[in-house]
Amino acid sequence: MLEVKGLSKDFGGLHVIRDLSLSVTAGERRVILGPNGAGKTTLFHLLAGTLKPSKGEIFLDGQPIKAFDAVKRARLGIARSYQKNNLFETLTIRENLMLAAAAALGKSTHMVKDSSRHPDIRQRIDEIAEQVSLADQLDQTVGTASYGNRRQLEVGLALATRPKLLLMDEPTSGVGPTMIDRFHRLLEQLPRDITVLIIEHDMDLAFGVADRITVLNFGEKVFEGTPEDTRGNATVRDIYLGTGGYHA
Amino acid sequence: MFYQTKFRSITLIAALIFLASYASFGSYFAREIVVEIIILAILAISLDLCAGFGGMVSLCHGAIMGVAAYAFAIMSAKLGWPLFPSALIGLLAAVVVSGLVGWVTARTNGIFFIMATLAFGQMAYTFFFKSRWLGGDDGMGGISRFDLSAIGLEMNNSLTFTYLGLGVLLLAYGLTAMVMRSGFGRTLSGIHVNEDRMKALGVNTAAHRAKAMAFSGFIAGLAGLIAAQHTLYISPELLIWTTSGEALIVVILGGLGTLVGPVIGAILLVLMKHEISDYTDYWHAFIGLVLIFTVLAGGRGVFGQIEYWLNSLRSRHHDPDNHQTAGKPQGGDHA
Amino acid sequence: MDLSFWILQFLNAMQYSMLLFLLSIGLTVIFGLLHFVNLAHASLYMMGAYIGISVAALTGSFWAAFFLAPVIVTLIGAMLYFTLIDRMRTAGPMNQVLVTFGLIFIFLDLVRMGWGDIALGLDGPQSLSGTTRFLGVDYPAYRLFIIALGLGVMTTMWFILSRTQIGAMIRASVENTDMAAAMGINVSTLFFLVFCFGCALAGLAGVAAAPILSATTTMGITILIPTLIVVVIGGLGSLEGAIAGSIIIGFMETFGAVMIPSFSAVLTYVLLAVVLIWRPQGLIPARG
Repeated sequence: MLEVKGLSKDFGGLHVIRDLSLSVTAGERRVILGPNGAGKTTLFHLLAGTLKPSKGEIFLDGQPIKAFDAVKRARLGIARSYQKNNLFETLTIRENLMLAAAAALGKSTHMVKDSSRHPDIRQRIDEIAEQVSLADQLDQTVGTASYGNRRQLEVGLALATRPKLLLMDEPTSGVGPTMIDRFHRLLEQLPRDITVLIIEHDMDLAFGVADRITVLNFGEKVFEGTPEDTRGNATVRDIYLGTGGYHA
Repeated sequence: MFYQTKFRSITLIAALIFLASYASFGSYFAREIVVEIIILAILAISLDLCAGFGGMVSLCHGAIMGVAAYAFAIMSAKLGWPLFPSALIGLLAAVVVSGLVGWVTARTNGIFFIMATLAFGQMAYTFFFKSRWLGGDDGMGGISRFDLSAIGLEMNNSLTFTYLGLGVLLLAYGLTAMVMRSGFGRTLSGIHVNEDRMKALGVNTAAHRAKAMAFSGFIAGLAGLIAAQHTLYISPELLIWTTSGEALIVVILGGLGTLVGPVIGAILLVLMKHEISDYTDYWHAFIGLVLIFTVLAGGRGVFGQIEYWLNSLRSRHHDPDNHQTAGKPQGGDHA
Repeated sequence: MDLSFWILQFLNAMQYSMLLFLLSIGLTVIFGLLHFVNLAHASLYMMGAYIGISVAALTGSFWAAFFLAPVIVTLIGAMLYFTLIDRMRTAGPMNQVLVTFGLIFIFLDLVRMGWGDIALGLDGPQSLSGTTRFLGVDYPAYRLFIIALGLGVMTTMWFILSRTQIGAMIRASVENTDMAAAMGINVSTLFFLVFCFGCALAGLAGVAAAPILSATTTMGITILIPTLIVVVIGGLGSLEGAIAGSIIIGFMETFGAVMIPSFSAVLTYVLLAVVLIWRPQGLIPARG
């Protein structure tokens, strides 16, 4: 479904991603692990089109997408949630989801109908709000919402576009155990027609949801395998788990 | 985001009734004032669409209004076209010019957008100012009013003309309100709040902003047509950047991002101007003080401030479920 | 058209460029440091001209006006700084444009109240009346003085900025205000001083221009647009940019008016539009 070949990204002389190849099958849950500065978020930038790779190719369902910008890739079904909240701060949670739903349903260029009353958009908002447990907070302004709610909305905005490929950058960073549990359930309930890449630091979550795990270090892929293999792998333990676990 | 609340509808209707009675009970001079208010209010609505919802503080809206007026005058007075097709060409010219400006400035923000629109507006101003064929700085006349005698309207009657102008104002408001609460308008607000995220959601934000400018050009064009029809004469003065500056004052005075605010702002500014100039020559200083005070008081404007008070009263006394229909003026900081 | 005609145009262009430079350098440094778009800068220029005229009338001396007008304008600027500018620094460009637009209106009427609507002239100093032979042409001595004044200010500023402690502090603060503050630079005092300096230069430009252009209520608005264009073309906040921009605009407008009169007025706007689209950071962008 997602095929990455020989991907590299340099900033000045710094190689942030080096000759990275990945193959993710449709419906897979792939967790990306790696210490700080391993190039995980850069990889997401390259996949989403917000950064241009220095070298390499990216294919989505066999189609080369390297030349496409972020907007075009989003329209092809790549959605992204951010490590740092990147929301519409002055709008309500409902309005945030409304924007995402309208974009996904092709209503963001319609000039006649009130989009806040459109039945399809309303239905999508309610569905997503239910999914990310925000149904009771819909009319709260994002700027005044709790941190946890904002993290949920971050994922909600990405889900509201009904993506084929969902890139989640540390969706649970900075939230408590209840929220992590809830998020775990959300991931399990996501339909399998969505392929998910997650950058995750929470080990239980990572091993719990992943079909396969890719480990990055200094921009290179140092390991790839099932959660069981990863747990037993010496290299991974050295660079990552050996340090006693990493917390953001 | 825009919501056509009950309070906004009532205020708009009250404003229109006020203007209609001011025109019908007042003298010929009162009708001149009302038409002046109508032109400024439509221009301000058009600017509010860009600045209040899209964050695009344009200093070329006066020029866009002028382009419509000139295109209309060229087609009808110079080339002898019938009035209605000429008016359509006028609107089209405003849409095209405005859309082009929007398209080339789509990637500039803040002070750079302000300066870029200033440049394009002054370019158009200088063009008409220097054009001998179009009368240069003397402007051009020879424009005639629409002949609506077929439906029993005598356009040369100043009262009929004023009522029709009020109709166009209502039309301009209605169209803009409709578009601002559509998916298109709400997405424009979204781009203003967080352009990057809007791109990540698959919206071509540059094209969206250009389209918004084009639509705004259509509304500004309506103001230009009334201006040309009103005095049957146009001059480059319409296009100069201070015309846009005055429209911006009206928007901020009434309430940025409320659409009704600009109408209230236009009424206040024009009436203040005429009332004060009865007593003193120095109404500029007064307007300047009012403007500074408005910004320092939080930048919500007269209508925006009243709406803000009403909303905070309501949310204190009622259940918070009403939020969706409560207006949320986007005053304050627009970087 | 012989060589002396072109030398004359060259000197005219230089003189206009220097006037633009005196105005734009203050505006651009204020933007670079304070991130403030001060449209009222041009009003201070107008105040410089009118105050200069009054001082000259009271004292009978041009030079008294020449030195006192910038000081009085600086005091007005300081008042503005404490009442408005300082609190508008973080309010975003639209609010800054609006507030300073309001100030333009107020200054306009203050001038009309104090000096009336008619254009007022100011006699240049006796010692600089008449013409001087320069580069083989007869050129008004006072206009040569303005060119020299501009070049003098330019050199002094270059010296201050590149060779002195306070110059290093200003450059550091333009590049990175937070870092400068962390290094122990008293940023708010520095802001205030730079703002005052910009106001003084605007006042100086006003009083210097008065003998040539005579003082009118519209002189501020008239010079504002070319000054803004200079600042944006050169690069907001960039000192070298203000110099380059002043010379480009000064020469383009002067030579454009002689060579392609029908197109010259549009020319600067075309240049501004092109720069904004292809190089919005300006020709010589400020760092930071």
